[in-house]
This record gives sequence, C-alpha cells and structure tokens, in this order.
Amino acid sequence: MTNPLVPIRGKIIKVVQETPDVKTFHVSTIEGKKPFTPKPGQLAMFSLPAVGEAMFSITSQGPDHLELAIKEVGQLTSALHEIEEGQECGIRGPYGNGFPLDYCKGKDLLFIGGGIGLAPVRSLINYCIENRKDFGKLTVVYGARSVADLVFKEDLFENWPKVDNMEVYTTIDRAEEGWNGHVAFVPAYVEELGLKPMTTITCGPPIMIKFVLQALAKMGFNDKDVITTLEMRMKCGVGKCGRCNIGSLYVCLDGPVFTLEQLKKLPPEY
Amino acid sequence: MKTIAKSRLNELLKALDKEYNILVPFKEESVSKFVPWQEGVDPYFEENTLLPPKDILFPQTEKMYGFKVKDKSVEIEELTQEKGQQIIFGLRSCDAYSIDCLDKVFLTKGYEDGFYRQKRENTLLWALACTKPQDSCFCESIGIDPREAVCADVQIYDLGEEWGFTARSAAGEELLQKLEGLFTDKDAEPLPVQGFSITVDMEGVPEKLANMFDHPLWEEVSRKCLGCAACTYLCPTCHCFDIAGSVKGGQGYKFRCWDSCMFSEYTRMAGGHNPRPSKKERVRNRFLHKLYYFVERYGQLLCTGCGRCLAKCPVNMDITAIIRKIKEAQQQ
Repeated sequence: MTNPLVPIRGKIIKVVQETPDVKTFHVSTIEGKKPFTPKPGQLAMFSLPAVGEAMFSITSQGPDHLELAIKEVGQLTSALHEIEEGQECGIRGPYGNGFPLDYCKGKDLLFIGGGIGLAPVRSLINYCIENRKDFGKLTVVYGARSVADLVFKEDLFENWPKVDNMEVYTTIDRAEEGWNGHVAFVPAYVEELGLKPMTTITCGPPIMIKFVLQALAKMGFNDKDVITTLEMRMKCGVGKCGRCNIGSLYVCLDGPVFTLEQLKKLPPEY
Repeated sequence: MKTIAKSRLNELLKALDKEYNILVPFKEESVSKFVPWQEGVDPYFEENTLLPPKDILFPQTEKMYGFKVKDKSVEIEELTQEKGQQIIFGLRSCDAYSIDCLDKVFLTKGYEDGFYRQKRENTLLWALACTKPQDSCFCESIGIDPREAVCADVQIYDLGEEWGFTARSAAGEELLQKLEGLFTDKDAEPLPVQGFSITVDMEGVPEKLANMFDHPLWEEVSRKCLGCAACTYLCPTCHCFDIAGSVKGGQGYKFRCWDSCMFSEYTRMAGGHNPRPSKKERVRNRFLHKLYYFVERYGQLLCTGCGRCLAKCPVNMDITAIIRKIKEAQQQ
C-alpha cells in the first residue's frame, strides 16, 4: 500500500485481561500473519474504524502477531475493552525510532516501570531475553498501585525470574492483605536497592518519572544512559499532522524514545 | 519573452483548458480565492487572494479511505483519486514559497503523503510577479523575491498592456512551446515592484529564538489572542490536520481536515493531560514553529510574508510586530 495513512485490515485474535483496566490485544492480519515487524519501542496506529484510531506502544510480538497492552482511558480504549476475540480492526506502522539496541548491546540493563508504563519497556525486555547472550545482567524494578494493578504478572512472577542472570523486583504503593512482597513507591525502591549506575530504561506516569530521574541523578547515573519514552497526542504518525512536536522534533517520528541527555536540550513541553 | 495582449488572456486560458483544469484567482463579493476557470470566469489580478491556494493541494477536508463494519468484520476500501492535470494560474511568489514548504512537509523526512503527492505531481505553477504590494505584505523581508517565484513552471509578468511569460522548468518550457502560436516574442521589461509599507529585519531571529522559550514575551504577546484560529486557516503554510470519521449504519469513511494549534483540544490526550494547556504555550508554539522549529527541521522559514494573518486577525496580532519584539528582547 502506497499511502502511510491508510491502515491494513487486522484481526484481534486474543484478548488478555491484565488488570481491571488494562487488556492486552493480540493482533494479526486477517490472513493470520504478523502485520509488520517492529523494533522494540516502536509504535502502532490501531483503530476500530467506526470509533477512532490512536497510537499505542507495541509491548511484544510473536511469529504471527503483535501485542498491544491498552489501558481504558478514553473513547477508543473504552470501545476496545468491550470487544471480543475475532473482532477485526485497522492497524498501521511501525512508527518511531525504537530503543537504541546497538547502544544497549553488551551492557547491564536496568528497567524501571510503573503501572501501564511497563508496556513499552517490555518490548525491549523480551528482546533481551530472546537474544540473551547479547546483553549483560537484566534488572527489572516495577511497581503499581496495588496487586490487581500489576500488569504482565506471568512475566513478573513466572517467566522473567527464571531467566539466566535476571532479577525482578516488584513493589506496590500500599500494603494489602496477601501481599508479602515489597511496599514502596517505585522511585524510593530504586534508591533503596542501591544499584550502581548503568544503562536504564524507564517508563511510567509523569510523576513517577520525575522522581525516578531525581533518584537516578542522586545515585550518579549518567544522562545519556537514562532512556525513556514520551507520549503525545498523535493523528498521522508520520511527522506531518503537526501536533506531537516538542521543539523541532516529532515524537511519532523522532521519538518516542529519548535519552535524558536529549530531553534536557528540548523545551520542557510534554 | 513570450507575450500576449491582456485582452486575449481568454484565448490562452481556453487553449490550456483543453488539457488542464485551470485554477485562477477570482473575487466574488468580498472573498477572493482560486476557482476552476471556465468561459465567463474573469480572473482577478488586482491583489493577492484572501484565501491561499493551499486547499488545491491540501483540501480543507479530504476523504482518505472508506470502511464497512458488520458484526466483527471490518473492511477497508481505498478511494480512487482523480488524476487530472491542473495549473494554478497567477499565484504570487509568497504562495509559491508556501507550496515549497508544503512539499518539504508532505514529501520528505521518511514518509511521502500519498494524497498530497498525487495532486502535487499533476500540478503546474504559473506564478504571477507582483507589482503592487498590499498594505500587509512583507515577503521581501522574509527573503522572497516578489517577481521570481520558487517552484514556478512559468513566471508571468505584468507588462502594462500585455502579459509576459518565461518558462522556469522543462514542463513549463514544453507547454509554452506548444502554445507558440498565441504569443509574440518581444524584448520586454516587467513593471517594477512598488515599495513595501512593512519591512522587518529577520537577521538572527531563528538563532535568537533558540534561547527564548522561557522569555516573558510570550505571556505578553499571547494575552490578546482569542484562539479563533483565523490566522492558521488563512496561512498558506499551516499544514496541521486532524483525522476523523463519519459513519452511518455499517458504512463510513475517514477524512482529514485542517486543524489548528490554536485550539486547546489539539494536544489534549485521552487521559486529560495537555502539554500546551493555555494560550501562552499555544501562541508560543505557533511562532516558534514558523520562525525557529521549521528552520531547524527544514532549513527555511514557515512564513511567506503574505500578510494574511495580520490583515485578518480580529485583535490585530501582527507577526511582524512580534518579530520586532523578539529582535528587541533582552536575553534572559
């Protein structure tokens, strides 16, 4: 197809309820193939044509499908949370720069996530696991408001802890019955763990990011080693429609992945 | 130069009309804009059009694709686009420069916009050299030559009693050759350009803006803005668009339509967060985009000096006055 604004037909082949307000959608083409092959951290424009279209991070992929973890926040996402497996849809992409894989190779990596913010980070975590020998030690620090709000529980508690040279630290904001794990806000937990400076990928709600960045600065992490992903309202996904600019960059095209070093040179307007 | 008496312009348009859809400036009541030429349409060359020719290549509303939904099924149908050749006849240097800006936006940086490209590749520009700048014109200050348009296929000159034509591209050359019989070859001197009543010094403005994001100037200049977006709709270079849909029963279509960075909804996200929540941020982004961000990204200003925004703003926001304020501003 010659026009980047026209989606291809897709089909939602599986829906996984992650938390009360997050579902993961597995999307194939109607022929049962993977719609396209994104790099970790890239984005997809996903639509129910009669309702709307929006940009989402691609949290993972299989040989024949893409996975999008979507929180119910607006009109389109509410409609998506109502649909059943087998529903057809529109999908286009992949968009954006993705994570700097070459830069990450051979290094120990720290992943810090909060809430639904684990979704984009997970694409890179899974990539590192699939290409395990290319990366050093993998450390995940993840938190959510409550146990019910922890996304990707199977990965957090079953799959990832079994991976060679990988550690997973999970926390919730407030103590609750039946939870024997850690209780703390993510930034405080990061400090408490006293990790040495390393390449870090972080994503979560703006307030968490703010305090995580403060904690990392205090712990001596280098700005060019702190990598995050940004969100902006988007319509075209290809740097034409104008609205996702930060300074002269477009988040859909030049982002969504930026290092803290890059962000400090941009206007603080996101 | 190839010339034709002004009284014989219809003959030229008629000859072109055989192969091309010709769009000419036309004034009806108080609104002037480009309309398809046909016998009886008398082109208006007195002054530049109120509405820029932007919508010819980037329509205000444009259908993108159709869809059908039924139970769980979704079908997506590409719409066929018209393929006709067209000529924008008599556009000014400022508006030709705006097409150069739109070309950069829609055709470069990794993705080509198919809707724009299809129209652009089938469009020839016959630009008209200006002789009388309007009160709000300042193209020369932007670095645009009012007598020689960028991207022109043919440059038209006012010679007083005649129109003169010079080819500026191979396609323009070929077309003028084909119409040879209509023209008289003549050594002619185009009418000079009369003076501009507005001038503004752009020297160093983009560079200075690189360090003015937090300047108190933006609070001051945005105060009187109504957020009506007349400036962005009249601007020949503003290219922001929204994508929306229309659906009835199980059928519908998606369309894109002009949008404006002056609206609060423009950047508001589904969760409610808005990175540009007030007029100050929106006005600042508009001027930084025109005078600095676009220069950084594409190497040229996103302002043509056509003066439409300052002529029509209901509260007299004036981009040239703002440029002067930027020049005078103390660095923070």
